[in-house]
Amino acid sequence: MPAILEVENLVKKYGDFEAVKGVSFSVEEGEVFGLLGPNGAGKTQTISMLTGVIPATSGTARIGGHDIHKEMSQVKKLNGLVPQDLALYPTLSARANLNFFGRIYGLHGRELKERVEDVLRIVALTERADQVVDKFSGGMMRRVNIAAGLVHQPRLLFLDEPTVGVDPQSRNHIFESVQRLNRERGMSVVYTSHYMEEVETLCNRAAIIDEGRIIAMDTIKNLIAMLGGGVVYVGVSQMDEATLAEIAALPAVKEATLVPQPATPPAPEGKEPSAEVKPVTTTPVVKVVARQNQQAVVNVLGYLNQHDIAITSLEIMQPNLESVFLHLTGKKLRE
Amino acid sequence: MKTISIALKDLQILFKDRGTLFQLFVLPLLFILVFSGALGAISQADTVTIPTLALVDLDGAEAAQTILSKLQADGSLTVQSYSAADAQAQLDAKKVVGVLTIPADFTRSIQQSQPVTLVLTSAAEADVQVVEAVRLVIESIAADMTLESQIIASLEQMGAMQANAPEEYQLFTTERVLEQAHFQFETAQARPLINIVQSVPQQDEAQEATPDLSQSAVPGFTVLFVFLAAQTTARSIYEEKKIGSFRRLVAAPLSKAELLIGKILPNFITGLVQIAVILAFGSLGLRLLGLTPLPIEKALFGTILIAILLALCSSAFGIAVAAIARTENQISGLSTLLLWGMGLLGGSMVPLFILERFLGPIPMIVPHYWANRALDNLLIRRLSLPDITLELVVLLGFSLLFFAIGLWRFDFER
Repeated sequence: MPAILEVENLVKKYGDFEAVKGVSFSVEEGEVFGLLGPNGAGKTQTISMLTGVIPATSGTARIGGHDIHKEMSQVKKLNGLVPQDLALYPTLSARANLNFFGRIYGLHGRELKERVEDVLRIVALTERADQVVDKFSGGMMRRVNIAAGLVHQPRLLFLDEPTVGVDPQSRNHIFESVQRLNRERGMSVVYTSHYMEEVETLCNRAAIIDEGRIIAMDTIKNLIAMLGGGVVYVGVSQMDEATLAEIAALPAVKEATLVPQPATPPAPEGKEPSAEVKPVTTTPVVKVVARQNQQAVVNVLGYLNQHDIAITSLEIMQPNLESVFLHLTGKKLRE
Repeated sequence: MKTISIALKDLQILFKDRGTLFQLFVLPLLFILVFSGALGAISQADTVTIPTLALVDLDGAEAAQTILSKLQADGSLTVQSYSAADAQAQLDAKKVVGVLTIPADFTRSIQQSQPVTLVLTSAAEADVQVVEAVRLVIESIAADMTLESQIIASLEQMGAMQANAPEEYQLFTTERVLEQAHFQFETAQARPLINIVQSVPQQDEAQEATPDLSQSAVPGFTVLFVFLAAQTTARSIYEEKKIGSFRRLVAAPLSKAELLIGKILPNFITGLVQIAVILAFGSLGLRLLGLTPLPIEKALFGTILIAILLALCSSAFGIAVAAIARTENQISGLSTLLLWGMGLLGGSMVPLFILERFLGPIPMIVPHYWANRALDNLLIRRLSLPDITLELVVLLGFSLLFFAIGLWRFDFER
């Protein structure tokens, strides 16, 4: 499959602050590609550069073979953007909104009418098309928001966190719409989210992005396989290097490391540490990457019992993108 | 086409916003009504006394005496005869509303049915309405005299011809005499023997004459409210950015120019409609209400030109505010501070001739001043279009300046 989108070392700087630090990825024609990362990771900035909303500081990208620096007007015709905000005119009806967004992409007359009816069908809002958007539920507004990005039949659709603040029923509607567009019309999709379940459900491949950098990129299956059978976090009363090495060598354990402990916040300058400020717990936490989760838990707990090492906490994480992100960055996606 | 789509969408949104519509179209009319009524009352209070006219009779013959006696008999004026120097002194001392000068050959010209001109000189500060009333009285008496003189001359001519002709050639039947009288009547109206020329001493034009206070409310509030509409553009752009639709527009295949023109156009169109509504009210509505109407129909082309430049300047100002203000509060603050402040300074709420006495040239720094001056000069002082060229050029200059600031500071990324 040829690539509809090729991104090379894209950078966005605001003064000294680098919001996007040289991301590179490609999306094949007909693929649903996920950009997974927490808020502020650089997902929206990346999409904004690819859709011509903001200029890139450096690096390049080609969409449908057109360079974003030299042929942005061609690129814009191929792109569809569904922004994170509900970018609709609340006092106009759903149909009036869609007619307007169709017109600014050059549609008119019968073609515009047909396209508007088509996207209303896709998002299952034909019956409510003439109602003012302001009267819609959050989920319905999200669906109109998506329809507005589809009305001109883009080849590449950018969906930026399209399910924020949406009820489960509307979320399912949105999932179904995206899957149908991809399956039936071969539309390529770049889907950004900080919900790992969404990316797991919808995407063929994904890039995990954090602090402006892509830290992992592969098929969803391969990304999850990075963690083998899952991850176990065990809080212990004591731990040393030799014991850690023995745990790592246990059957069903792929890797064992000590989780770095956050430092106690320093007292303000010129002041003694306050008695009320409790120091962060200092008991060590061992992160165990398992080949097989249940077996690894049995082996590790057995080993700790045998060596009289008290267990202070235990957290078992199934292998998924959330645990992959935690494994790679040491923080949770929704922190 | 895309520009038109953006403009139509904004107009569609605007016409659903009753508050803004009230502010754009109803509020100005209410302001005009209140101010016209109040200022009109002040004007009337000032004109209760019968004006005094100084007469300089350089002719001293029969026709001049007739004029004097008819003016005195009219009752709407007090007429006093002076020498030219004394009359000027009375005018300078503001003791008379004007000086009517009868030229030396006045009676002879009338007798020979030759055109003759009376000069009515008014003081620069004189009330335009009072001077106009005086001029109308003189004009009416002059018209009567023209008619009388021409009909008598005609009858005398016919009588002389009749007396000299043999009986079988008696041409002047009753029908012919009546026909001749009608002809003379029409000639007297079309080509009056006595013309009135009005002049203002030390001024080439009548432009420094004081306008009627009630009339000045219409141009003033037209300018104020058309500029107030600029905040609609600024708010519309801010709203687009707030809800995120601006990102969508930037991501669409539209040039930045198309996008900005699309956002300006609704304000421009609304401004023109606003001006049409307010001025129509100033012309027809005030007439119906018994207040002094604006003679827009006499300067239609000039009024349209001012309307276009005024709407353009307001739209450009809206873009400049949208470019400078970062928050809704800043838009409100800038709009309130600048638009009402500039309106006050530019003569929208207090007539320009009063402001200029206190502030000198300071009001010239705001576009409102030039727009008000253009409308005042054209509609109240009745100057011609070439006379307001400076005002129009300055308004255009302000428009370009605001556009430049808008384009320079406009943030398409935020």
